Amino acid sequence: MNTLSKNWRFRDKVQKYFSVGCITVRNNFAYLRSFFIRSWFLLVILFIFVQLWRITYQGEGSQVIAGYTYEQMIWYLIFAESIILSSPRLPIKIEEEVKKGDVGYQLTRPMSYLLYHYFSYMGEAYVRLSVNIVLGSSLGLALFGWPHLGFGLLGFLLVSIGSFTVNYLMTMILSLCSFWVEETRGLVFVYNKILFIIGGLMLPLEIFPRYLQTISHWLPFQTVAYFAANAGVHFEWITIGKRLLIQLTWIFFLSFLLRIIYQKGVRKLHVNGG
Amino acid sequence: MSTVAKYTRFALACWKLNLAGAMEFRLSFFMTAGMMILNNAVWIFFWQIYFHRFHLVNGWQVSDVMMLWAVTSGGFGLANSFFGNADNIGNIIVTGQLDTYLAQPKPVLLHVLISRMSVSALGDLIFALLVFGYFGEHTWLGVIKFTVALLLSMLIFVFFSVCVQSLAFYVGNVEGLIGQELIVTFALYPTDIFRGMTKVFLFTVLPAGFISYMPLGLLRQIQPLFFGAALGVTTLLVFGGTALFYHGLKRYGSGNMTGMRM
Repeated sequence: MNTLSKNWRFRDKVQKYFSVGCITVRNNFAYLRSFFIRSWFLLVILFIFVQLWRITYQGEGSQVIAGYTYEQMIWYLIFAESIILSSPRLPIKIEEEVKKGDVGYQLTRPMSYLLYHYFSYMGEAYVRLSVNIVLGSSLGLALFGWPHLGFGLLGFLLVSIGSFTVNYLMTMILSLCSFWVEETRGLVFVYNKILFIIGGLMLPLEIFPRYLQTISHWLPFQTVAYFAANAGVHFEWITIGKRLLIQLTWIFFLSFLLRIIYQKGVRKLHVNGG
Repeated sequence: MSTVAKYTRFALACWKLNLAGAMEFRLSFFMTAGMMILNNAVWIFFWQIYFHRFHLVNGWQVSDVMMLWAVTSGGFGLANSFFGNADNIGNIIVTGQLDTYLAQPKPVLLHVLISRMSVSALGDLIFALLVFGYFGEHTWLGVIKFTVALLLSMLIFVFFSVCVQSLAFYVGNVEGLIGQELIVTFALYPTDIFRGMTKVFLFTVLPAGFISYMPLGLLRQIQPLFFGAALGVTTLLVFGGTALFYHGLKRYGSGNMTGMRM
């Protein structure tokens, strides 16, 4: 009986957070047209990179560079840009909640503040990702026709769960600094730039010099864009399995760190009512 | 005092007040400018990695791309530091804020352009000078050519915006129409990676090509044809933009909004 009631309670909890995600998805569907219009910039950036890599492959006189063909390189960029541009603006939301005191209402709700924001984040991320993938893929299809990526899309979607989770954890750790400092924009900005450089957004890590590749392998940033984009163009079950394991390790470590920061922050919090 | 000297004094006074206003919140000022420098530095890092692996891009070397970044970010920085309202003219027109400027005894276009300063653009300008300091040609001729390149790109940014935003006099809201952001996006990549209709587009409708080709066409070696064309296009944009603005101003109907210039 005891085990049965424990199972029910667990099932109810999962259903509760899953509902948060579903409500976020439904809310964001109301802004689908706006997402499509705002994502035109993705097409401009991809168009420019298509030209740059076309010249690069021509200049090298080689069909393959660092293990990527021209087609694979473009699809890599489509997947990497899609992941990064799909990430919701969590720091702005958290900063506003703390500044306005709305965080007080959130903390009194019968659900974990961190898990609530996680499921909300994932809901919004996947709505945006579907828009970005459709737009990016339209460019890819127009250039190369149907892609020969095998199960690449499946690999990309599988790894993207870990990518968004790691990105959520790192962004949330920085956002919770608003319990101590008023503005976290500077910290988040620096994080995003590090993600661009050694996260594999602009160039696959295989093109980096050896020493930079080694540094990137020991940091969590590669798990956000590079892992997912690489899984999309170089689908291999064993490699994907290894990468999912690395993501899981970072998720455990970052969750532990986030929990500590959250508990310290909440104890420090003063909410003034009116 | 001559008219030019009077307008120069007026512009200097405006810029001084804009800078004083921006520096009122010191930490915010330095953070904003600093973040822009860091943002641009990421791209320098990208190109260093790229050229570490691939030594040439259709005749462009790493020093040319660094100068490309210096000219584009410097021109953009100058445009938005000293003429920060260029991309905002359309909004000023449709919301009736132009009335405030019409009531003042100063040239309307000049007054509108100089009455706003973008703090992040100062970061772009500082970044441009740092890049030139590290990668540029440090001779008198090199400095003169770089200064000319900056001035030309600044004028292209400002008066392209004036042309586009002045369409608000005729069609109303021009928010979302092509602006400086699109020029900057294309101007930050070597021109020779583009071909066909794209290249034609970048030297006609969207004059980003005149900015991005400056490292090869002016800084490395003065190519008379390119330099002449760049001067011609800049002159056309300056006079054309000014004419379009003042022609549109004759159609402008004042609103009931009360505003203030402080």
